[in-house]
Amino acid sequence: MVGNDIVDLKQAALESHWQRKGFINKVFTDQEIGYIKKAKHSSFMVWKLWSMKESAYKINVQQYNHRFFNPKKMACRLLDAGQGVVTINKDKYRTHSIVNDRFIYSIATLNNSCNIESEYFEFNNSSYRVQSRTGHSKLIQAISKKLHVKNDVIKIKKSILGVPKLYKNENALSIGCSLTNHGNYGAYVLST
Amino acid sequence: MALETLMDVLFLRKLANRRITMKKEALIAQLKDIVQPYVQNEEALENLTENTDFISDLKINSANLVDVVLDVEEVFDIEIDNDAMEKMLTVKAAMEIISAKLDEK
Repeated sequence: MVGNDIVDLKQAALESHWQRKGFINKVFTDQEIGYIKKAKHSSFMVWKLWSMKESAYKINVQQYNHRFFNPKKMACRLLDAGQGVVTINKDKYRTHSIVNDRFIYSIATLNNSCNIESEYFEFNNSSYRVQSRTGHSKLIQAISKKLHVKNDVIKIKKSILGVPKLYKNENALSIGCSLTNHGNYGAYVLST
Repeated sequence: MALETLMDVLFLRKLANRRITMKKEALIAQLKDIVQPYVQNEEALENLTENTDFISDLKINSANLVDVVLDVEEVFDIEIDNDAMEKMLTVKAAMEIISAKLDEK
């Protein structure tokens, strides 16, 4: 199983004020607050930890079919600049993050043995509907290329919990996937 | 029971129910004002009901859901602990949490 999350840094600065009273304490553990305080750019660290949490949460929802909202429950530990571990209850997820001055992108996996394929992209339209459609079609193109079939036999259906599932001619595929978009950026990841 | 007394009881009950409905409607209206700045799907906001989901229907991004929780705390002068927050994914759940915290006061 796989999960991903992208944060557009410009968009995050516009729409989220993590410095507001109460925010940090609702979202981050003591160890994470330590990372934020020590970081050269604290807002980069805030959104990196956030995207790690989100990407791990997306796997957790698939595992337990249960949604919840409690970012503090996903505890991050950093191994080096890109690698990390997120713990949610008893489960540990490995994360890999890409950080640049435009966006932060994290991918989480439950076990390291699966093959991961991912692509991120910049949108030229700000409507979430258009972005979501674009992300879907990029993922479909990647799958159809991989399976050597036409685009229109591959379908993405979302479960009640919002988890995307892949189908080929109405048959469920055993390829895990995750989609994300924020601000001007989007990405998909798939695991085989 | 005399018929008149029974009528009185029924009338009072109706009045009480109406008061609860009004309270509920006022709470929904307050919540609607709180979430409005974070909503990406305006259409779903227009048709907001108890069953509306903050993330899947209103398309509020999850970082802004923290803002919704903090705004709710400020507006109602209550504290929402992380256990309560965990369930706060729908209008209905938010209303239950707010009512419970207000009753504790």
